[in-house]
This record gives sequence, C-alpha cells and structure tokens, in this order.
Amino acid sequence: MSGLWPLTVRELKKWVRNPTFFFTGLIQPIFWIALFGSAFDITKFFSGPEGGLAASYILDGAPNYITYIVGGVLTTMGLFTAMFAGTQIILDRSLGPMGRFLSSPIRRSSIVFSKIISSVIRILPQAVILVVAAYLIPNGLKFPHGFTVIDALIMTTAIILIAFIFSSIFSVIATRMTNMQSIFGIVNLVNLPLMFVSYAMFSRQMMANWLGDVAQYNPVSWSAEAIRTVIINGNLTSSQWVQEGRWLGALAALAAGLLLMTYYLVEKEIRD
Amino acid sequence: MNGTIIETKNLTKIYNGKIKAVSDLNLEVKEGEIYGLAGPNGAGKTTTINMLITRISPTGGEAIVGGYDIVKNSLDVRRLIGVVPQDFTADEDLTGRENMMMVSQFYDVPRQKAQENSNTLFKLVDLEEAADRLVRTYSGGMRKRLELILGLVHEPRILFLDEPTLGLDVQTRTQMWNYVKEIQTRLNVTIILTSHYLEEIDELADRVSIIDHGKVLITGSPEELKGSLNGDIVTVTLTDQKSAELMKTMQGIVEVNEVGPNTLRIKVASADESLPKIINFISQHSLSITKLTVQKPTLDEVFLEYTGKTIREAEGGDEARKLAMNMRRARQ
Repeated sequence: MSGLWPLTVRELKKWVRNPTFFFTGLIQPIFWIALFGSAFDITKFFSGPEGGLAASYILDGAPNYITYIVGGVLTTMGLFTAMFAGTQIILDRSLGPMGRFLSSPIRRSSIVFSKIISSVIRILPQAVILVVAAYLIPNGLKFPHGFTVIDALIMTTAIILIAFIFSSIFSVIATRMTNMQSIFGIVNLVNLPLMFVSYAMFSRQMMANWLGDVAQYNPVSWSAEAIRTVIINGNLTSSQWVQEGRWLGALAALAAGLLLMTYYLVEKEIRD
Repeated sequence: MNGTIIETKNLTKIYNGKIKAVSDLNLEVKEGEIYGLAGPNGAGKTTTINMLITRISPTGGEAIVGGYDIVKNSLDVRRLIGVVPQDFTADEDLTGRENMMMVSQFYDVPRQKAQENSNTLFKLVDLEEAADRLVRTYSGGMRKRLELILGLVHEPRILFLDEPTLGLDVQTRTQMWNYVKEIQTRLNVTIILTSHYLEEIDELADRVSIIDHGKVLITGSPEELKGSLNGDIVTVTLTDQKSAELMKTMQGIVEVNEVGPNTLRIKVASADESLPKIINFISQHSLSITKLTVQKPTLDEVFLEYTGKTIREAEGGDEARKLAMNMRRARQ
C-alpha cells in the first residue's frame, strides 16, 4: 500500500493548514460538553438526600451529570467527525486529485483508508481537550475513584473503534456517490437517531422502554458505556470487566468487519 | 525508436449497454514518437485514453501498453505510464513540490531520487520559483506545467497528454509546446497527445490518427495527411481577361477555376514545385499580375475532409451535443 502513508500525511497537512477547520475542531468539544452538560441535566430538579439517591440511580452512580455524559459526548464527537470522512472523498473527486490517485499504481483502498485513519487521528486531540474542559468547568467531570493509564487506554480504544466504524461506513457510501448534497442528506438523516437512540446522553432508566431496548444494539451505546464505566467505577470488579470486554469486543468486531468490507468494496470500485 | 509500444486490437467501449464510445479501434504507436489523437467532441478520444491508462476497462477487444495487457496487468501498465489529464489534479492546499513528492511516493521513487527529479523537473518547465508556493496561488498555465511534472515524477516510458493546452492563452500554449518537445527529446518518452487544436497536433505530432464515432478514420504523419488532399492552391489575379485565358492553358496544373474578375484559383500538386513554373510562365508570356497567393492545406482541412464535421453540424448540432453529454454522464 505505497499510497497510504503519503495520502494520510496529505490529509493531516490539509487539516493543520486550514485554521478554521483546525481551530473549530478543537473548540467544538468545549461547546459540546458545556452545552450538553447544562442543557440535558435533569438532576437539577432533584434535591435533598432522596433526590441525591434518585439522581445517582438514573446516572448509573455518577456523581453529577457531566461525569455521566463525558463518555457519550466523546463518542458522539467521534461519530460526527468520522461521518465527514466521506465528504473528503467527494471533494477529491470534484476537485481533481482523485484522477491522479486512480491513474497511479497505489491500491484503491489506500485512498479510502487514508481518510479513515486521518479522521481517527483528528479525533484524538479533540478527545483530550474535551476531557480537560469537562474537568475544569465548575461542577464538572469527577473521577470518584481516580484515573489510571488503563482507564485512558480504554477510553481511547473505544473512541478509535467508534471512529473506525462510522468513517468506514461513510467512506464507502462516498465512493459510490458523486454529489455532496446526498452525503450531507444521509449524515443529517442518521446523526440524531444514532445519538439519541443510545445511552450517550441519557441512561436507560430515563428512557421509554422501547427506546431503551433498541438503544442497547447501537454501537454508540457500547462506546459510551465502556468509557463511562471506567470513569464512574475506577477499579472494575470482575463482572464489570466482563461487561467492559463485551462492549469493546463488539466494537472491535464491528470495526474489523466494516474495515474488511471497505477494503473489498473499494478495491473493486471507486467511482470516477 | 522503432518498436511498437502501444497496440490496440478492436478496442471497444460501450457505456450502459448502448452508448458506443469507442468501436473496434486499432492503433499502433511506435516507441519514442509523439502520437496525436484528433477528433471532434464525443469522437472517443478521452474514452480511448482512459482505457489505455486503465482508468476504465474496455467492453471488447484488447490493448497492450508497454508490453502489458491493460486488463490483466493494469498495475504494471500504471507503473510505466505518466498521465496529464484534462483536469487539474494537484492538491491546492499543498505546495507544488509537496504535490510532486507525494506523487513520487505513489510510485515508490526513493526520496533522494525524488528530490533530484524535483530539481530537474521544476527547472525543465520553469517553475522553480513557485515550487514551494501553495498551488492555490498558481495561475492556470502554472498549474498545467505542474501537471506535466506530476506526470513525469517516475520517469515513465509513455506519457499521456489529454488536451494539454485547453483553456490556455496563445503565448502559454506555444510555451507548453516547447516543454512537450523538450520532454520528448530530453527524457526520451513516447507521448500520446489528444487535442482539439489541430495546429497543436501539426506542430507536435510525428503521426496522427483522426478519430470519429469511436473509429480511426486515417493515420499518418501530418505531412502525409495534408498531402493526401492532393495539392496546394495558388490564387493569381491578372490585369486583364486575355491574360487570364492564356494563363489557363498552362501545363502541369491539376485544376483551374475562375473565382473572380481575372482571378484564377489554380490547384497544383505541390506549390513548392509549381510556383517557379507559374512565375516562369508569367514572365515568358509577359503577363502582368496584381496579386499572387499560395495556400497550403492545413490539418483543419484534412480534419473536415475525413470527419465531415461541417455536415454533422448542419444536420444535428443538438444531437452531437446530446451524445457528448450522455457520454460524459456515463463516464461519471
């Protein structure tokens, strides 16, 4: 795959050189955590010791709402950034570079994998900024049982897997499409359902039953829960480790399957 | 210089099962030559090029490029060809040199070698000063020159130039011609060139095929093709009718018509040989003339002769435009 490295470097150069793209991407996480953290915080209606217990129940034991949603916001941010990996493919086609790529001997899949990898890389600094911002705001993120390297690794893995999953789906769609409007249409159609039919912002206890049932099959829920569990519980019990393994395993299996599918579909055809 | 480097046999491309863009096309390109493909819009030039550079696959026939089959060994074909497509392909957010180094990596050119090439190529097309500027600051002519560089980074044996001067001003176009000649002689590559501008083909190509409706109508050197029209035109205006009548009796002319008052349009096999004879005839018979012009046939006339483009326009400009649009859509 002689094209993968130069193409990924190209994507990252374009990202760093475009100040609007670069800085909005870095500021966005602060907005997300501040706005979602305040807007959706139901626990403000609870008061007294009983209210505290109720809040803790619906937040799966988190000390406050921001601590609860950090996992969800990290995941959603990964999801949103990843969905736009496809738009770069359409831009390359309409602005011309795709013609150069397709007439050179590089593998077709390296064109698409460079987008996927660079979108995963772009998400990582955003994730760090989001966690720091959440930690610094008043009544923000708390690690009731401390924060270890393993916690950080688990969080990073979950975000990377969610980014792989959605950037591969949207990249494949983009290789079969010629216009930007269609891909924006699809992004707009699915982003809110993916975000709200999941445990990203609200726990199962807060949802209508049917919604809670559906949400457990959403990979966004798996990632949000995997991150949340380590933040809230710190040292995990063995049953919590099993559950953690299930979420990350499911994400990894899905990501691997989708990347493999991407490879085969893209090697077969990228629309000119 | 004499081996065949590209050969197509009955190469055919039918889009969506019905639009026949290229039909049983046979070409033979010799190593080291500049080979021109001329033809009206929708004739199948770009489709032919796209098949040869393995961007699209043929629906019939076969083609060998540099010894490799374009379908079975498409990767080998891509390694030994360079492409300068009609559209710009450089990334605007990178500098010219960054684009060049990136494309070098696509072909596994070692970094050291790529840097040496970069110096040579940017100098070759006079783009050294702009090499480290972002491509978005380049003019149209500079971008075209950068495209030439991008097509040459891996020292290809064959270079495909699809409409290299489309949309450039006259000065820049002449400049591009010089670069193309320079590239052919200095880098020793075979060049396949398509163009709307027949004077460009005439200027650059060693041989040319005129294509229409996806078929080759005629192949030859520009001189041969012009020669095939049987002759040059000499127009003489004499001072009186009597002289004109006398002039008509001259030996060794193919055809003569009176096209105006005392004005004769004389068709001769070759103006170079006939002009001295005409002048001798005039002085021997003490005729006096007021005007004498010589017109050599251009490739435009050859093109009109073989494609009948004027006829096609007269009977259906709309139809031709529709066909071109359908083909463009089918290609996407």
